Amino acid sequence: MNGSNGSERILRRFAASVKTVIAIFFLIPLVFTILVSVRPEAEPVTRGNIFFGSEVTWENYDRALIIAPWSMHYVNSVIFVAGVLLAQLVTVTCAAYAFARMRFFGRNLLLLIILLQLMIPSGVLLVQNFRMINTLGLFDTRIALMIPYWGSAFGVLLLRQTFREVPIELEEAARIDGANLVQVIRHVYVTNAIPAYLAFALVSVSSHWNEFLWPFIITRSAEIRPLTVGLNKLIKTTDQGAFYGQLMAGTLIVIAPLVLLFLLFQRQFVESFARSGIR
Amino acid sequence: MRLRSQRKPLVSYLQPYLLIAPTLILVLMFNVVPAINTVRDSLYKPARGLNAAGKPPEFVGAENFRDLFDESHYLGARFLRTFRNTIVFALATVIIGVPLGLLLALLLNQKQPLLGLWRFAVFYPSLLPLIGAASIWSFIFSDSIGLANAVLKSLGHPGLNWLGDRNLVLLSVIVVNIWKQAGYFMIFFLAGLQNIPRDIYESASLDGASDAQQFVALTMPLLRRTLLFVIVIAFIFAFQTVEQLQALGEGGPNDSANLLLYLIFQNISERRNWGYVNAMTIVLIGVVLTFTLSNFLLFERDESN
Repeated sequence: MNGSNGSERILRRFAASVKTVIAIFFLIPLVFTILVSVRPEAEPVTRGNIFFGSEVTWENYDRALIIAPWSMHYVNSVIFVAGVLLAQLVTVTCAAYAFARMRFFGRNLLLLIILLQLMIPSGVLLVQNFRMINTLGLFDTRIALMIPYWGSAFGVLLLRQTFREVPIELEEAARIDGANLVQVIRHVYVTNAIPAYLAFALVSVSSHWNEFLWPFIITRSAEIRPLTVGLNKLIKTTDQGAFYGQLMAGTLIVIAPLVLLFLLFQRQFVESFARSGIR
Repeated sequence: MRLRSQRKPLVSYLQPYLLIAPTLILVLMFNVVPAINTVRDSLYKPARGLNAAGKPPEFVGAENFRDLFDESHYLGARFLRTFRNTIVFALATVIIGVPLGLLLALLLNQKQPLLGLWRFAVFYPSLLPLIGAASIWSFIFSDSIGLANAVLKSLGHPGLNWLGDRNLVLLSVIVVNIWKQAGYFMIFFLAGLQNIPRDIYESASLDGASDAQQFVALTMPLLRRTLLFVIVIAFIFAFQTVEQLQALGEGGPNDSANLLLYLIFQNISERRNWGYVNAMTIVLIGVVLTFTLSNFLLFERDESN
């Protein structure tokens, strides 16, 4: 009865092989990135053994490391991502509380204005935001990198929804105990919304870690440019001579942290990304 | 107990506004005002002719838009080709990527050995920076030593110029995008599948419905909302993902694989094209806005509780 007849079994076999084929197709790029990164540059995959060259070598990593100041880019990416997230946590928490639990004149209109961010994302406003940063005199600064992301309509929506689910009696009890607004937000709402904060943080960190166009346009100095811009430099260097070994080594240097983070927090990542769409 | 509102009326009146002020100001500064400026600047052209430097831009009405949609104009030809590419790119992502995401979700929804590994295999591309993903594929598509051609040559085919042939570059860019997004789409379908109560299936199979019948009669109707949602975000995403072009042919020979936002990016420092760049941005905003609004109209309404 439960699918054990012949045609169902064939269907299941078929599903399993489809799954395997797709998974292999999806994994091949990563596997070859790793293989090419430790393969001698003089031995392209078209020559000799397709998987391994004559030896495993780190020389591609050595050369990739010379082309861009990766450790500096690492620090810059961490500062960028953390600077965005910390500011967002403050702005988003305040706004979410106001929209979830306060009654005030113009509430719906103001929420609608904030939601405009979802309809006109700053990513498509490259030209005018570039101009805005220049007007503010912030070109080529860390602030310029981060400031367009400090407000997050997605975060406000996510936490407003979560805060609304916190029983109002908890706030009333805290108020009776003499808690002020900051204490109420911190001890009643934030503590009861940790999973939502984690979801928001994972989405925020992973999207800004991967940001390229904006940092590329708005900065000039390597001292503040993030990893993706360093990778771009490596791509442009590689274009001329097709040194794919060093390009793959550099690519791995850039993507490793998020892939490792994902391996550690697989379940949370999947849940967070799912929530990021539900809005 | 004295009520707070009686003690500090003004402060408590202002409180909500102070709490939302940071977010509101940032959204005004980096979304609303720039959008308004885009509209304004799309109606102007930088001053032309001798001694143009320092002169204010001239108002030209809709001329920038007319030029963009004029095949004989130097930028219009590029814009039209790029706009067509962007639509093909978005449609291909939706038509191939969304069903693939659904298929993956169906395959990986049940408990099975190595579930974590399977999910990693299909989801990791969506975590990579676009430019990193493109960098990986630039090797696979590389003319002389790339993996794609190594496979073709072993099959006796002379190999293809994936990133140099004007008929192939867009296809290559589409393949990369589908590879990158399918796992992300899968996440939403998995969430949608998990919201379907198990007992529906149990009673269906007690009634003798096969897996295929259950899929058609139960799963698909119950996933309809998720499906619509994923289609909408797939379109919105497709219009904003362009960074991969940086490593995959930079728009291809003759803009054969250029995408709208990348064309804007390429012209950002061209002063004479300032009006056009803003007009192109208006077109892009128009498209994104249409899809996001339809998203809100389709879904926000019945989630208002």
